[in-house]
Amino acid sequence: MTQTLRNRPARLDEISLTPALEIDQVGKIFDVAGRQVEALRDISFSVRTGEFVAIVGASGCGKSTLLRLILGLDTDYQGEVRLDGRRVVKPDLDRGIVFQDHRLLPWLTAEDNVAAALRRSGLPAAERRRLVAEQLKLVGLESFARAWPAQLSGGMAQRVAIARALVNRPRFLLLDEPLGALDALTRLRLQDELARIVRHEGTTAVLVTHDVDEAVFLADRIIVLQPDPGRIARIVEVELDGQRDRSAPAFLRLRDEILDTLGVRQPLRDIATAA
Amino acid sequence: MSEVTLVPIRPARRITLPSTLRPVLLGLMVPLLLIGIWQAAAAAHLVAPYILPPPSDVLARFRSELEGGTFQADALASLSRAFAGFAIGAPAGLAFGLLLGLSRMAERLLGPIFLAYRQVALFAWVPLLSMWFGGGEAGKVAFIAMTAFAPSAVNAWRGAAAIPAPYRELSRALTLGRLDHLRLVALPGALPAILTGLRSALIYAWLATVGAELFLDIAPGLAGRLNEGRDKFEVDLMIVALTVLAILGLAFSQLAAALERRSIRWRNR
Amino acid sequence: MSRLATALLVPALLLGLWRLSAAEGWLPAQLLPAPVAVWDALTETAASGDLWTDTLISLQRVGEGFALGAVAGLGFGGAIGLSRTLRQLFDPVFLLLAQVPLLAWIPLVILAVGIDEAMKVTVIAWASFVPVVLGVAQGIRDVPEPLRELGRALTFDRWDLVSRIVFPAAVPAIFTGLREGLANAWQTLVAAELFASSEGLGYLIALGRQLFQLDLVLAMVLVLGIVGLAVNGALALVERRLLRWQAHAA
Repeated sequence: MTQTLRNRPARLDEISLTPALEIDQVGKIFDVAGRQVEALRDISFSVRTGEFVAIVGASGCGKSTLLRLILGLDTDYQGEVRLDGRRVVKPDLDRGIVFQDHRLLPWLTAEDNVAAALRRSGLPAAERRRLVAEQLKLVGLESFARAWPAQLSGGMAQRVAIARALVNRPRFLLLDEPLGALDALTRLRLQDELARIVRHEGTTAVLVTHDVDEAVFLADRIIVLQPDPGRIARIVEVELDGQRDRSAPAFLRLRDEILDTLGVRQPLRDIATAA
Repeated sequence: MSEVTLVPIRPARRITLPSTLRPVLLGLMVPLLLIGIWQAAAAAHLVAPYILPPPSDVLARFRSELEGGTFQADALASLSRAFAGFAIGAPAGLAFGLLLGLSRMAERLLGPIFLAYRQVALFAWVPLLSMWFGGGEAGKVAFIAMTAFAPSAVNAWRGAAAIPAPYRELSRALTLGRLDHLRLVALPGALPAILTGLRSALIYAWLATVGAELFLDIAPGLAGRLNEGRDKFEVDLMIVALTVLAILGLAFSQLAAALERRSIRWRNR
Repeated sequence: MSRLATALLVPALLLGLWRLSAAEGWLPAQLLPAPVAVWDALTETAASGDLWTDTLISLQRVGEGFALGAVAGLGFGGAIGLSRTLRQLFDPVFLLLAQVPLLAWIPLVILAVGIDEAMKVTVIAWASFVPVVLGVAQGIRDVPEPLRELGRALTFDRWDLVSRIVFPAAVPAIFTGLREGLANAWQTLVAAELFASSEGLGYLIALGRQLFQLDLVLAMVLVLGIVGLAVNGALALVERRLLRWQAHAA
């Protein structure tokens, strides 16, 4: 059990080679008080089915904006976001999203919040109930089904939000800094859980985060963004098969490399290279 | 603890009451004191009874009014008038307010003129309504309905317009239809404001009932009795009518507050 | 610009319909006088000077009553907000009295102080007193505990605590109370003038009703709306100045 929890080996044979999601020369300009602010410039990458891609960058580099474009909340941009070759024009149930604020509706219980995502599924009521129960069990909250969001801790609320994003069995799970508002311990625990859940569901995932450790721990590939305007600094393949140990030397080396790209100097490594 | 070293110089300075009893006792103190002074003043012939009849006289008047049965009829007349007006005005205001809160176009078209209308003092409409609907029951109910309309509309409007943008975004992410958005997001989100609006509509309807009975044609009703008391210089009758008006008003707002608490259980947990 | 146009669309439409109705005689003039008649009534009262003197009298009554009620309300509300004992003593009596619909006091006040100026000022003062007390007391009670703790950490005495922390933190709620008090004062003024008066805007409305001159009534409704808007706007201006620290104060 601990083995699967701690390690999420990226098994390349599970990842299809045809891109399912393509980001093609995407740019976005915001109009802020009459001034043009370029948020994204010339972003191109693709995500293959079954892959876990993380987008990291400092705040303000446009990574959340990019996720909104993939979700289809914003269609006013340059370039193209394509899903199976077709341009994304609006949100659909094949993309589930987890926001940073859990965004549970406070007047619905946990199970009703998850069930809200099934309104458009066209499934019979009994089937919906079954799916909701199953998802809550997957995130370990079956005994809190009838609780109001105000009664849940931040971590629990975020797990309900994950259940809501997954209940439609979406092909893509979009994660917008889902653990950013949680305390450090809860965050580590939920990272393990997220790895387990995504693996269990076999979903393709796109994670936006500013936590480099989180990205290295979860992703198969990391898109590093730099700000003003947001553009790709580099794309890093995570080749840590079977050893996603947060304190393993390879893990730390990769993390430091990415932090370096982001302009955060690592004193320890400087000393090491000097020696 | 260091309590021992801090023994007050005069330890029995103040009688301490059990914490639950204290507010009740203190709360009763002032009214009882006032009533006592009032009764004593009357007994000592400090005020003429026709200006301020003693509490015992007021109580006797209340009893005789109840035995005569007219007072019950008056209260019923006032209550049914208030509810009729409320039942017309409040739902209409709710629908209007929701329309303004949910449709940008409706808000731009109708919002400004509604705000302008709100600036006119309520009672200024009395003469107009009495011309249009007559001074009888129709005119009274029309005025009460008009009064209940505005607070209900304003609050529903504010509540529906204040649904946070992230929730609207969630609706889009879950691809909810208009009806589902209304049912799952907009209405529950606006509910606290809607209930506040309905509560204040109820209180306003009660105020308008008094206004209608004072300003329009004479008819059975509590405020009518108030006017009768003034005409006949019967202060005891006026005090009885005022007290009943206050108690019924209090009952309204308590009832509305209780309903409000029940309907938004998801908060404050 | 287009916002203004949309805002004026419905009023313009209604005005057009009203003119048409008057021209076609859909409703008798006693029920709905023509817009021109209303305008004439307005300019006539303005030309004769009645409009200005009566508006001034109404404003003076509101001013006196509101000033009296607001000052008393600030004092009483502050007292029951700051002292738990005073609150427990006076809250029940106050709440019960506040439940009496405002207008219901008018007949009793007439018996007590007569039908003249004193009656109007008393009723208006009470009408403004109630919401001010509620706003002040609530505002003081809702001052966040961490802020009070900060005061204790800075070893403020009672006066500093009230003047530096409690009062400024309660200002938004106090202003809500003041604004409601002013609105109440305005409503009550019209009612009191309608009930018994020989001057003032409410009197002109009552006069128009007695003479079956709906044009005068409608003209005065218009004036009441404009004056109400101006008074409200003035208070909002003061409020915005005092609440500059609230970033979101719209």
